[in-house]
Amino acid sequence: MPVALSVDLPAGTVVPARLPAGSVALWRSASGRPAASADRCPHRGMRLSHGFVRGEALSCIYHGWSYGQAGHCLRIPAHPRLAPPETIRVTTHRVEESDGLIWIAVGNPLSQPPRLTGFAPLRSLTVLAGVAAIEAAAGAKASLEGLLELSEDARNICLLLSAQDDGETLAHVLIKGEAGPADRVAASRTAESLRRKAEGLQKKEITQ
Amino acid sequence: MTVKAMIDEWYPVGLLSQLDLKGRKTALMDEPIDVALDADGNARVTGGNGRTLPVRVRYGHVWASLGEPKKELFDIPEADQPGRRFVDVGVVRVRCSPLRAVENFLDIAHFPFVHTDILGAEPHTEVQNYKVEIREEEDEVWATQVKFYQPQAAKSASGGITTEYMYRVPAPTCSVLYKTCPPRPGEWDVITLFVQPLAEDLCDVWPWMALFDDESSMTDLIHFQQTIFLQDRSILENQIPRLLPLDPGMEIPTRADLTSVAYRRWLKRHNYTYGAQLVAQ
Repeated sequence: MPVALSVDLPAGTVVPARLPAGSVALWRSASGRPAASADRCPHRGMRLSHGFVRGEALSCIYHGWSYGQAGHCLRIPAHPRLAPPETIRVTTHRVEESDGLIWIAVGNPLSQPPRLTGFAPLRSLTVLAGVAAIEAAAGAKASLEGLLELSEDARNICLLLSAQDDGETLAHVLIKGEAGPADRVAASRTAESLRRKAEGLQKKEITQ
Repeated sequence: MTVKAMIDEWYPVGLLSQLDLKGRKTALMDEPIDVALDADGNARVTGGNGRTLPVRVRYGHVWASLGEPKKELFDIPEADQPGRRFVDVGVVRVRCSPLRAVENFLDIAHFPFVHTDILGAEPHTEVQNYKVEIREEEDEVWATQVKFYQPQAAKSASGGITTEYMYRVPAPTCSVLYKTCPPRPGEWDVITLFVQPLAEDLCDVWPWMALFDDESSMTDLIHFQQTIFLQDRSILENQIPRLLPLDPGMEIPTRADLTSVAYRRWLKRHNYTYGAQLVAQ
């Protein structure tokens, strides 16, 4: 699943991301490697997405327990001389990064994420509507990979949709070719008005 | 998740200093209650069905019970000691289990990360061995000889000191902390955490203090403590699950967590499970 734009996850930061199985902590080490782990420190249940990144490790904000990219606990600050047992670890997910997007593997996909040749990611937005409502608002169908090309006057914009478990949809806005600042602002506004339209349709459907 | 064993306990339901004739609507373990002053100036707590609940007024707070308390409200002898300043800190509402709020209060290992540069700072993260016991006669959890390096242990402290702590859990949602008193070596400052369980995953936390501090203004003392509790809230509202897991397997304790291990064991022994999760999910 495409969970975030590369540009929204600078080195040394962690953010929450959503998968059908729940929240994950998506982080990028100081050297630039992205990683994803369960969003729960096994010590006291604190969300790891509230934590901090130092070097090549993600630390929990509650007691500073730190975890490597493979999920094993590296350090327990309350016991600095103790080597944490192998059994203390967080579940991790496979992460791929290509064409400016970060993907997290759900299950065990055999293939790589689809290439988005010719498109550059612009921004991500959460739409409080399902994929069907967004398709209806756009007057177009999304591909199996979740790519939705806008029609008519917005041919330079493409949305990469990923359905969330609560009926919301995460939409990454992609823009074609060389786009200047004005094109980018216009594309962003087009995506926002499409979002409003889709959310309106979704509301209507619920009230009917 | 049974209310039964905890229903006969005392809980804080408000500050005496803030009561008036009009009363205040609040809740105790999912039951709506009303806390007010009566015509004679006594605190009166009314349950959801209009019945009058048992009431005590102590430590600046009004206490009530939904059941029939078998024990008197726990004693804090320092509350009668001359020379102390008594601080009603107020209330902090936290979207968490009342038991999680108490457990966090018993924990020192989080100081360098959550109360950075106040109650702790890296690299002083090590938790040295301390003593924990369940005192059978008093039926209380005690942790003693707890030592920790603190950059600013109290409003009255200037510079870093190694602070000594003692913790006491005299009731399922209350804890009393005894702490090195910077201006008066040999005495202990008393800081309490009185937790009012509104629901299993929602509580009002009423900190209260009995300090030796003639310098700081009341506003500064309250502000210092509120800062600490607001930092704690950012943790407490983001723990998964919201309820406190009492069965092993869901969370991993270490030696630094022995107070919490004893607290959980004591809760389980008494069936104090309102706000607890019993089966690992």
